[in-house]
Formats: sequence, C-alpha cells, structure tokens
Amino acid sequence: MLRRMVLSAAAAAAPCLRNAALLGPGALQATRIFHTGQPSLAPVPPLPEYGGKVRLGLIPEEFFQFLYPKTGVTGPYVLGTGLILYSLSKEIYVITAETFSAISTIGLLIYVVKKYGASIGEFADKLSEQKIAQLEEVKQASIQQIQDAIDTEKSQQALVQKRHYLFDVQRNNIAMALELTYRERLHRVYREVKNRLDYHISVQNMMRRKEQEHMINWVEKHVVQSISAQQEKETIAKCIADLKLLAKKAQSQPVL
Amino acid sequence: MNENLFASFAAPSMMGLPIVVLIVMFPSILFPTPNRLINNRLISIQQWLIQLTSKQMLAIHNQKGRTWALMLMSLILFIGSTNLLGLLPHSFTPTTQLSMNLGMAIPLWAGTVITGFRYKTKASLAHFLPQGTPLPLIPMLVVIETISLFIQPMALAVRLTANITAGHLLIHLIGGATLALINISATTAFITFIILILLTILEFAVALIQAYVFTLLVSLYLHDNT
Repeated sequence: MLRRMVLSAAAAAAPCLRNAALLGPGALQATRIFHTGQPSLAPVPPLPEYGGKVRLGLIPEEFFQFLYPKTGVTGPYVLGTGLILYSLSKEIYVITAETFSAISTIGLLIYVVKKYGASIGEFADKLSEQKIAQLEEVKQASIQQIQDAIDTEKSQQALVQKRHYLFDVQRNNIAMALELTYRERLHRVYREVKNRLDYHISVQNMMRRKEQEHMINWVEKHVVQSISAQQEKETIAKCIADLKLLAKKAQSQPVL
Repeated sequence: MNENLFASFAAPSMMGLPIVVLIVMFPSILFPTPNRLINNRLISIQQWLIQLTSKQMLAIHNQKGRTWALMLMSLILFIGSTNLLGLLPHSFTPTTQLSMNLGMAIPLWAGTVITGFRYKTKASLAHFLPQGTPLPLIPMLVVIETISLFIQPMALAVRLTANITAGHLLIHLIGGATLALINISATTAFITFIILILLTILEFAVALIQAYVFTLLVSLYLHDNT
C-alpha cells in the first residue's frame, strides 16, 4: 500500500513518471494514460540546407578544429601523413595489384566529381525548383480562378443594383401602350357616334329635299294646268313678234 | 600469386561468419526513401533517374506486363549498384558469384514462361516454331527452339557472371602488371597504368550496361509472354 502511495505521488509530480507507474505491477489500475508524448512524424523537422563542411572530401572540419589548439594548422595533415607512411612501412597496407586499381578508380572518381559535381548539384536543385514551381503554378492558377469568380460575382451584384432602370423603362412603355389604347378607343367611340348622328342628319336632309321637289312638281303641274289654250297661243305670237323686232334691231346695228 | 588472383572472388567471411549477406544488403541503404515533397540532392537525382528508366523500360509492356514494374526496377537498381560498388578497391561483388546470378535469373525467367503458359498457352507454344519454316525442317526447329528457350536463364546468369568477373580479373591482372613493371621500366609501367585507367572507365560502363541488359532481357521475355 505504501508502494502504491509512493507511485501515485510520483505520478502526480512528473508526467513522465506516470508511464513508469504503469509498469509497477498491480498499481494504479484506474489511471491508464497513453500517448503522452508528441506524435513522432509531424511536423517533420526542416532539413539543413548545406551539409557539414569537410576537408579533402572526407574529414569533417570539426576534427581540424579539435586538433588546432594542440597542434596548430598542420597538425591533422602531419597525423594523416604519418599514419599512411607508418602503415606502408610496416606493411600493414601492402602494395599489391589492387593498389593500382584503387589508384585508377579513386582517381577517376575524384576527377569526375571535381569536374561535374557542381553541375550535377545544380541539376538536382533545378529538379526541386521545377517541382515547387509546378505546385506554385497550380496554387496561383487556383487563386486566380477564385479571384476571377469574385470579380464576376461583384459585377453581377453591381448589375443587379442597376436593374431598376430597366423596370422603369418597361413601366413607362406599358403606361404609354395603355394610354394609346385608351385614346384609340375613345376616338373610335367618337367616330361611331358621329356616324349615327350623320345618318340622322342625312335622313332629315333627304326628307326635306324630297318635300321640296314634291312641292315644286306640284306647283309646276298646277301652273301648267292653269295655262289655257288661248293664253298659250297669245303668248307664243307675242314671243314671235318680239323676236322679229330683236332681229331687226340686231341687223341695223354694226357688228362689234 | 594464383591464390591471390582469385581470392577476391571468394565469399567473404569474418571469423567464420558469412557476412556476404550484409554485403548483398548494403546497396539498399544507398537509396534512401523520399520522405518529403522536396528532398535532398541525392534522392532527387535518384528519383529522376528511376523515373527516366522506368518510363523507358515499361513503355513496351501492356497492362499485364506493367505489374512487373517494381520487380524490373529493383532488379536494375540492385545489379547496377552492386556492380558499381564492386569497382571500389578491396570490395566484394556479389554478382561475380554464379550462384547468385542463377538465383536471380532462373526464377525470373521461369516466372515469365509460366505466366505465358498460363494465360496464353497457344501463343506460348507457338513461339517454338518461327513463321514460314519449310515443312521438313519443323521437328528439328522445334527441338532447337526448345533448347534455346531453356538456355535463356543460363545465358542470363552466365553472361552477367562472366562479364563482371572478367572485368575484375583484368583490372587485377593489369594492376599486377603495372606493379611488376615499375621496377623494370617506368615508362612501360606508365603506359600500363593508362591502360588500367581506360579499363576502369570501361568497367564503369560495363557495370551499368550489364544491369541494363539483364533487366532488358527479362522484360523482353516478359513481353513475349504477356
């Protein structure tokens, strides 16, 4: 029981000890805590951009710095030369056929690296840059698309604001059309009424004319009836005498 | 001298333990996994190379053949890297051992043949008789074609072994000649050394070419059978 108390006190004190507490057999059944640490994979720590500095392509700079206080600048080189000469003289490293193949292979490799190393590095960097540029382009294209959509939406909204002009014009048009129809109908009514009235007037005129004609005919008929035969002969003889007189008068006067 | 010549081809063991297993597994750590979107230079170049090679190598295959993509790419990477590492001084090249090359060639070849027989039996059997052979020659030609079929894995393995072994042996011998000639006449030694350099360049090329040829032939056998 004392052990359990100690373990629980320790678990309260430090979080890392909680996991240790679980290992204690039969202790702390209630508090099972898992995954108290960070998830191991994310976020991925950034890579260093350049590797550590090396001299002669193999030996890190730190080694030279390490030997510098005791042996100065030439120390590591002397150490290296000494080791090589020692191994050669004591035949720890035997010069065999392999030595020459080693010289030719390593020499070739060093030559190739010195000559083409930088350009191959640039090529690798260019590959990475191309990949980033491609993704960047996708991103920019997406942003551009969304920006275009926003602009289109804004212009649509602006158009909607100006829609009332269209409605006013339509309203005016309809009002004018209504007015036109009203006036047209008014005019038609007027024409119809005038037609009717004209008809009555013309009927009246015709009646009066007919009456007049009838009266004139009646008067003429009675006048003709009243003229007796005797009067007719006298009138005709008088007319002939007048005519003769006129003829004589016309002959006597000079022609103008 | 005789013992020394072939000593580099003996399976290496340290204190009686076969460390050849470690040596065979070693090239795999030279191909790191790409963990990020933008990796370091080594991984970028390796990715680019693998993309280039796989596109070119898998172009001739149909859907069924392309399921072998991983196998073929692993093959060419393994053989290439093992051959190139073997050019370093005092190193052991696993591909000089006939046992290992047979172990690579026979299963792959058998895989292609069995695939062909399973899925396109008639076409696979038809490969035994080239088109347009005159009638009396048919039996002999079938026998010849069968022999040529069974020779394929042997040829694959022996080709790789012989090339790499011969190259290593030549380098060893010419290096020995240079060593011996230094005391006799320095200029001849120098000329021999130049020959050695040229040979090394050749060996670098051969290392890559042999990997390519091996994989190409396997892919060709695959193409015939899918």
